[in-house]
Amino acid sequence: MKRTVEFTVNGDAYRFEIEPNRRLIDVLRDDIGLTGTKEGCSIGVCGACTVQVDGDMISSCLMLAVNANGRDVTTIEGLAEGDRLHPLQRAFIEYGGFQCGICTPGQIMAAKALLDHNPKPTRDEVVEWMTGNLCRCTGYYKIIESIMAVVDGKVEGQEVRA
Amino acid sequence: MTMTVEPRREFDVVGTRVNRLDGFEKVTGTGKFVADISLPGMLIGRILRSPLPHARIVRIDTSRAKKVPGVRAVITAEDTPKRYWGAFIKDQPILAIDKVRYVGEEVAAVAAMDEAAAEEALSLIDVEYEELPAYFDPEDALAEDAVLIHEDKPGNVALLIDVERGNVDEVFRNSDVVVEDTFKSHLQWQAPIETIGSVAEYAGGKLTLYMNTQTLFMARHRLAWALDMREGDIRIIQPWVGGGFGGKSCDDNNAMVCSVLAIKTGRPVKIINTREEEFLAGSRPRVPMKIWCRMGFKKDGTITAKHIDVIAENGAYCGKAPAITGVAALRHDTLYKYTTVKTRARLVYTNRIPTGAFRGFGNPSAEWAVEQVLDLGAHELGIDPLDIIRKNAAEPGYVSPHGNRVISCELKQCADRVERMMDWKNRRANKPPYRGLAVGATVHVSGKRHFGDYDGGSAVIKVNEDGKAMIWSGEGECGQGPTTALCQIAAEELGVPFEDVEMSRADTDLSTYCHGAYASRLTYIAGNAVKDAARNMKQQILEIAAEMLEAAPEDLEIRQGNIFVRGAPEGKSTTVREVAHARLFRRGGAPLVAAGNFDPDSVLQDPSRYGNESGAYNFAVQAAEVEVDPDTGKVTVLQYAAASDCGTVIFPVGAEGQVEGSIAQGLGYTLSEGLLWDNGRPVNPNFSDYRLPTAGDMPKFLREFADSYEPTGPFGAKGLGELAMDPFAAVIGNAIFDACGVRIHELPITAEKVYWALREKERGSSAK
Repeated sequence: MKRTVEFTVNGDAYRFEIEPNRRLIDVLRDDIGLTGTKEGCSIGVCGACTVQVDGDMISSCLMLAVNANGRDVTTIEGLAEGDRLHPLQRAFIEYGGFQCGICTPGQIMAAKALLDHNPKPTRDEVVEWMTGNLCRCTGYYKIIESIMAVVDGKVEGQEVRA
Repeated sequence: MTMTVEPRREFDVVGTRVNRLDGFEKVTGTGKFVADISLPGMLIGRILRSPLPHARIVRIDTSRAKKVPGVRAVITAEDTPKRYWGAFIKDQPILAIDKVRYVGEEVAAVAAMDEAAAEEALSLIDVEYEELPAYFDPEDALAEDAVLIHEDKPGNVALLIDVERGNVDEVFRNSDVVVEDTFKSHLQWQAPIETIGSVAEYAGGKLTLYMNTQTLFMARHRLAWALDMREGDIRIIQPWVGGGFGGKSCDDNNAMVCSVLAIKTGRPVKIINTREEEFLAGSRPRVPMKIWCRMGFKKDGTITAKHIDVIAENGAYCGKAPAITGVAALRHDTLYKYTTVKTRARLVYTNRIPTGAFRGFGNPSAEWAVEQVLDLGAHELGIDPLDIIRKNAAEPGYVSPHGNRVISCELKQCADRVERMMDWKNRRANKPPYRGLAVGATVHVSGKRHFGDYDGGSAVIKVNEDGKAMIWSGEGECGQGPTTALCQIAAEELGVPFEDVEMSRADTDLSTYCHGAYASRLTYIAGNAVKDAARNMKQQILEIAAEMLEAAPEDLEIRQGNIFVRGAPEGKSTTVREVAHARLFRRGGAPLVAAGNFDPDSVLQDPSRYGNESGAYNFAVQAAEVEVDPDTGKVTVLQYAAASDCGTVIFPVGAEGQVEGSIAQGLGYTLSEGLLWDNGRPVNPNFSDYRLPTAGDMPKFLREFADSYEPTGPFGAKGLGELAMDPFAAVIGNAIFDACGVRIHELPITAEKVYWALREKERGSSAK
């Protein structure tokens, strides 16, 4: 039986009538059209579907959409303001923190969840936190370097072209 | 053929740390991957797969499945043209014909309004099988009484290579030291975070596919063959591709089945592999090999001869494994200078997933064996393995016993760099117990001539009326960064700022033929094609500018988009933008457009496997320091160093990323990745058990690029994408031996294997 669910995504309010077994990732991607959240493993291991729910880091492939009722969801689409990028986004571009880009939204959302709670983590803390996000392209070195660039205040959010 | 040899010079754009051109879309989540594409009226396709490794199909009944509400098509082989297809040997059907040959093989498929209806219909397809004997080890499939997996392949052998140059046995007899050993490698999945997927639509005889392939035109060719269509009636559009590593070079049936469903229903159809399907029947994993290798040496470390025997697992159908087996059998002989070599390789059908192209393409498996045997020789001789590499290293001008012609080569420099990075002599002399240091080397190609006698590339450049250049290329971008590197090459050649060049997305309707991303070929081959197009464009621009400036074209220069008489930048000038505008907006005007081509000076190997397979060769030396826990067998890589000779580094951020990513895949290949099998079925096909390395697994890593220049490359560049993957496993194997005196003979090197090897060594020494 369908349930009525209300939650915000990137500050916008939504109301859905949804089956209780429907996953948050499906509602984000298929119902709202926010396809920046990616599905990599479907079992909460790879981190490609990482979003924030009330600021906490969540694998949206493991969360039922009904459990988001009354909560605030942030996806990768909620970070930039127009062409003005979040510092983490800027850093991933400047420090080469991505290649194919499929895991990148999840990497950035995971890093954001860390920095929201702990703006000055050590490199070891960053590495430890990011072990929940798989990347097959980069070997992680430039992902960690990108995040540390933000931690060290080397990057500001700014407009970019391309 | 276009061949130019250019001297070294300073560059304006090449080699600068530009940002990737696809950054904004990828960090904001706005870039569209194939799973993100939805078309009006689109159906969801699902595939019914074989639960058995080898069986005759007695009967398929789809009648109940067809009655499920929302189902628009249920197909079997009867709904396909029943043409067998494949890159080298055409033996694979779109949907199983009469027989299934591995667990996961496509048997039937459904297109429905939604996934629930599709899944329900799949569960209602009734298939009756009659099981046949199945083989999961090539040596079992080679047995004389083995049942044939393909009736027309006697002995279950797909390919045999048997080559001897000189007389190895005679040379071994006259060698001071002869060593030999046998090593086995395993299946490794490319495992990009994005699985294989397609969206197909069909109307008016034209099939359009959004497909995350890394080789668009080859995919089009294979689809055309299997679907019995003309190439031009198929359009492949490449969305952003979430990693390829060889696995998305169209050897699997995802797009084939999707196309048949779209043709059958007249509706767009989408099939995205689940992660489990990706392991069962998606990307074709690395070809497992058992390699016996014998090498002879003189007392001073000179290699006298090499003899190897390769048994490679093809799996149930033939993708790229024949070429991969050829690489494993022959390529390594381009690394060191010796003339006497014997190689036999057999590629054998089994009832497991077809194997195929994965970064390294036979080199990692070969290096895992040969570079360990070389290390055995070094220990036997008591010579520093780095000195063995330097002593025997290929050099510019070297021609391998199989005819590979080396032009640029900085292998010795790579050895020197690794020695310095690792503080090699000092650390080796002062290493604590259970620490080991070791090296390995490799050679790779920059494109390989094996799909017919053409290994070329092409590109078209237009310059818009605003002076901005657009490269039309069909090579594609699967994440490794060629888009950015090719734009740098075009900007450098044209003399315009990097910001004034962009590249189209790959689309077979809009670009000229390009082989695509494999064999580390894009920077070298596509780079040369783009450079040729830019040179032709520049000539057009200069001729028009010459009219405008009343000067001779050959006296003009373009820098930063400004055109002036050479040596007089302050004098009369115009700009590329003004030229483009003036060329178009006048009576008889025309847009600026130019084409470019490049086909390297390589040759197709003859039947004896002789022939220079690539236009340029890339070299690497790597070293590791590892620690082995004697109580548990756990191996920790403490530090890793890689020196790579890829000629001029065009795009530093991308080049560094290729090396770093290769190291991570090497680490997974060597230590953690692998599946458990039960009667031909992988029991744990998921990311929680198939352990990709995480950020926390990566060792301290040092990397350098050799100071190198390839005269036939674009601005001196050659390939890099696979190079750093090749020697990794061998380096770790050698380092473990250095640490604790045991050789692990089978990948992956689990703690358990090291533990038991240590116990066996203890027993051996206490018995003495």
